[in-house]
Amino acid sequence: MPTPPTTPQRTTPPHRDSGLSRRDALRAGLAGAAAFASNMTVLNVLRSPALAEELKRGRKRVILLWLAGGASQLETWDPKPGRATGGPYRAIPTAVPGIHISELLPKLAQRIGHTSIIRSLNTRNGDHGGASVLMHLGRRDEPSLKYPDLGAMLARELARADSAVPDYVSFYTATEGRGNAVGRSGFLGAQYAPMFLTTDSKPNNLALPEGVSDLDHAQRGELRKLLSERFAQGRTSSTLASHNEAYARVRGLMASERLFDISDEPQSIRDMYGPTLFGEQTLIARRLIEAGTPFVKVSRAWWDSHGQNFETHLELATELDHVMSGLLDDLEQRGLLENTLVITLSEFGRTPAINPSLGRDHFASAWSATLSGCGVHGGSVYGKSDDDGQRVVDGEIGAAELFATIFQAVGIDHQKQYYVGSRPIPMTDPGTQPVNEVLA
Amino acid sequence: MPPATAIARRLLLFGLSAVATCATLPAWSAAAARGEDLLPAETPVHEAIDRYIEQRLSTSDVTPAPPADDANLLRRTMLDLVGRPPTAGEVKAYVASTDSDKRTQLVERLMASPAFVRHQTEELNALLMDGVRGDVREYLSTALRDGYGWNRIFRDLLLSGNDQDVERSAGQFLRSRADDLDKLANDASVIFFGVNVSCARCHDHPLVPEWTQEHFYGMKSFFSRTYENGDFVGERDYGFVSYKTVSGQSRDARLMFLTGAVADEPPVPEPSEEEQKQEKKQLEELKKNKQPPPPPAFSRRAQLVEVALRPGENRYFSRAIVNQMFARFLGRGLIEPLDQMHPENLPSHPELLDWLARDFVDHGYDLQRLMRGILLSRAYARSSRWDEEGSQPSRSLFAVGIVRPLTPRQYAMTLRLASTSPDQFPADISPEDLDRRMEGIENSARGLSDLFERPDRGFQVSVSEALVLSNDDRTERELLRDSGDSLLGKLKTIEDPSELIETAVWNVFGRPPSPDEVQVLTEYLAARQDRPAEARRDLIWALLASSECRFNY
Repeated sequence: MPTPPTTPQRTTPPHRDSGLSRRDALRAGLAGAAAFASNMTVLNVLRSPALAEELKRGRKRVILLWLAGGASQLETWDPKPGRATGGPYRAIPTAVPGIHISELLPKLAQRIGHTSIIRSLNTRNGDHGGASVLMHLGRRDEPSLKYPDLGAMLARELARADSAVPDYVSFYTATEGRGNAVGRSGFLGAQYAPMFLTTDSKPNNLALPEGVSDLDHAQRGELRKLLSERFAQGRTSSTLASHNEAYARVRGLMASERLFDISDEPQSIRDMYGPTLFGEQTLIARRLIEAGTPFVKVSRAWWDSHGQNFETHLELATELDHVMSGLLDDLEQRGLLENTLVITLSEFGRTPAINPSLGRDHFASAWSATLSGCGVHGGSVYGKSDDDGQRVVDGEIGAAELFATIFQAVGIDHQKQYYVGSRPIPMTDPGTQPVNEVLA
Repeated sequence: MPPATAIARRLLLFGLSAVATCATLPAWSAAAARGEDLLPAETPVHEAIDRYIEQRLSTSDVTPAPPADDANLLRRTMLDLVGRPPTAGEVKAYVASTDSDKRTQLVERLMASPAFVRHQTEELNALLMDGVRGDVREYLSTALRDGYGWNRIFRDLLLSGNDQDVERSAGQFLRSRADDLDKLANDASVIFFGVNVSCARCHDHPLVPEWTQEHFYGMKSFFSRTYENGDFVGERDYGFVSYKTVSGQSRDARLMFLTGAVADEPPVPEPSEEEQKQEKKQLEELKKNKQPPPPPAFSRRAQLVEVALRPGENRYFSRAIVNQMFARFLGRGLIEPLDQMHPENLPSHPELLDWLARDFVDHGYDLQRLMRGILLSRAYARSSRWDEEGSQPSRSLFAVGIVRPLTPRQYAMTLRLASTSPDQFPADISPEDLDRRMEGIENSARGLSDLFERPDRGFQVSVSEALVLSNDDRTERELLRDSGDSLLGKLKTIEDPSELIETAVWNVFGRPPSPDEVQVLTEYLAARQDRPAEARRDLIWALLASSECRFNY
């Protein structure tokens, strides 16, 4: 359910300080802290049937597989076999008659019933930095306004108010292209900023500090809370409230550290995703969304194949085929797929023309993305590029339309307004229409 | 201000203050332009602030909160002026003083101190260089020490850039933005004029009929000939900004300022291709030799400085900084949001804004005078607690002190000082030695301050900040270390629980512990007699990470 557009001012009811009752409250709080502290680390969101049930009932989630550097549409979703631009790979039939994709994606071809392929993106920006920003914001950046990215908007719209898990997790552990990695909550505030993992698959500061026992850690947190609540009496401020809310999430997030540890998973599940870093992080993504995280982005770099395009794609597309197939199967088996949207997206595609280094260059005029699962008309293709893949001949859309479609697929009104001061900012630029053909 | 009519008063009581404001104010700034109906110019600044604010409180039937107590007000004032809270010793000395003039003396003393220049340099640098690389600290430090007016700072930031002395550091304002002229134009407009014109880029401003695309592209035009050449910034003598109107026509923008004033400029022919080639070659040469490019015969940026400071046109420039300072020290601007100071967005106290802007211009755009006036007002000194029945009055009344998040520098300094042993600041330390020691702590707090986010309007504390304080080894290393000069080291020498609690609370909060705190903390220590070292460490942590330490209240 979308949350209301404005954050209401949190108010603390005025409190008459009567020494006795206050003391009693403080004491009761401390005693309570000791009692429940020992239970806190056993909080296991994974095995909570209630949460899994709730997810099945309709709470939507999104996993973005970000193909950094620009995946080639010709070696994935929009092959042009037999043309001068086609390259060496064949197109293969899929589970849906009439739809063909690259032979590098045989497993996904069998699972195309979950997926809608969009072959008609024309985004007009072929620069890694600018295009990454465009494909994360769904609109042109503006110097004066800090727009939030897709993950921040989805976190804001889909997160539970009392969430114990991170709302927006973003993996970008490759070094190539990390300078262009986008993750910003903009005017939505730090509350929706990504938990950004750039060095390994474990987030920072979730482990107990050295020399502090779990019990002491929990109890000093309780003491901090009591002192802060005393300070907050008679003081009304949403910023002040956010300070205590941030601390209130610390223990829950620490408990979620194990979500990042896939050794909990049976080998059969791990095999579905494979032993690569991309596979393992995608499995972590599934663990996170299952536990309630609304948005996870897993980046795989570096698809920027100016040379050796075909070798690069043989490796990367094959990996994508395995990992994404494993993800779709796993989600389906758990009953999560109907409420989880899986996106594949890059900053742009690659030129139909093959350069002398047997590479393909940056190309934003006719390229592809896919949506699978939640709210999607699976087994469909939207839009068409011409015979050589040089331009869009049918159903041309840009970043805004793609974003509107993503929002609609997970039940969010794409025209919902945020307010920056008095200025209304719709989630997608005014006049944007979602692509209804892609939606279920 | 004429006495409110009965109807206006009733409207006010129903909270329709905006309506009443419209009714009692003829037009934006018209009164200020003529200097009519405002309090006399010779009124002391703080008195003018209080007269206007209290006038509105009384028409709104609101009794403001009482003044904050001495310890609280000292903390607030020191954080704002020198960027750090007082030591326990400083609080005790200030509270003990019976001098009726002690607050004024405090403000004067702090403003004359080197720490004032250091802190204001950081705060102004953050305002000017938010989100861009580089800094203008060296320049600001000179400007603040020598008391430059805001008009001079504005001129230096926009025009110098290439001088070889300290002004060269001012040029970083332009150099950091010369590769994105849209950003340069908009940043300059937001910072110096309180106006975000980007809404008018694609269409006329939706909320402000007076503002058209011409205003946006006019503002952009003042900067459109600016370019980067190596380490220098130059300005060409030719080139126009053209734009498409909503109806699709193409137009060359005129040099139009926000007030509608248009600067004339001599006609310039577009250079031939050959001339442009020559120019390019010359610039390459200068770049190689690390020489500044030649100045233009006619500088558009100089035109902007001239028109923005011209009597009759300078209201945007003066009101923006007044509003900025008001927001910084009182937690809310007289106009909100700060970058929407357009004619359709009425101030909460229109006459006060006009009065302060007039006073600011009349006194040489003196920042120190403005700061002093705000800090000496009763409005600044009010308690941030509202203990009355009923909900808190609207923030725009300034009836209660507004709790403000500390800036990264203030917060890092607060945490570092709070975790330093009180023995580092003996009662007989000379002011010079104390300042030297503080400067050392400021320098060592830099790394910590990089971990925090700069608060903007509607700031929300992030979970990652809470995680850093809770779990990062930096917290253990820098704030909870056990050494002779740390608070933890000091507490280890104290056995008596009440003395220990007294010392800890004074050191971190700068006030005595309340009886309920004493009780809770005593019980906390008593329950951990088997691990006294951990108990002391965790007690310090809980105080440091609490909200009282995080905010200026």
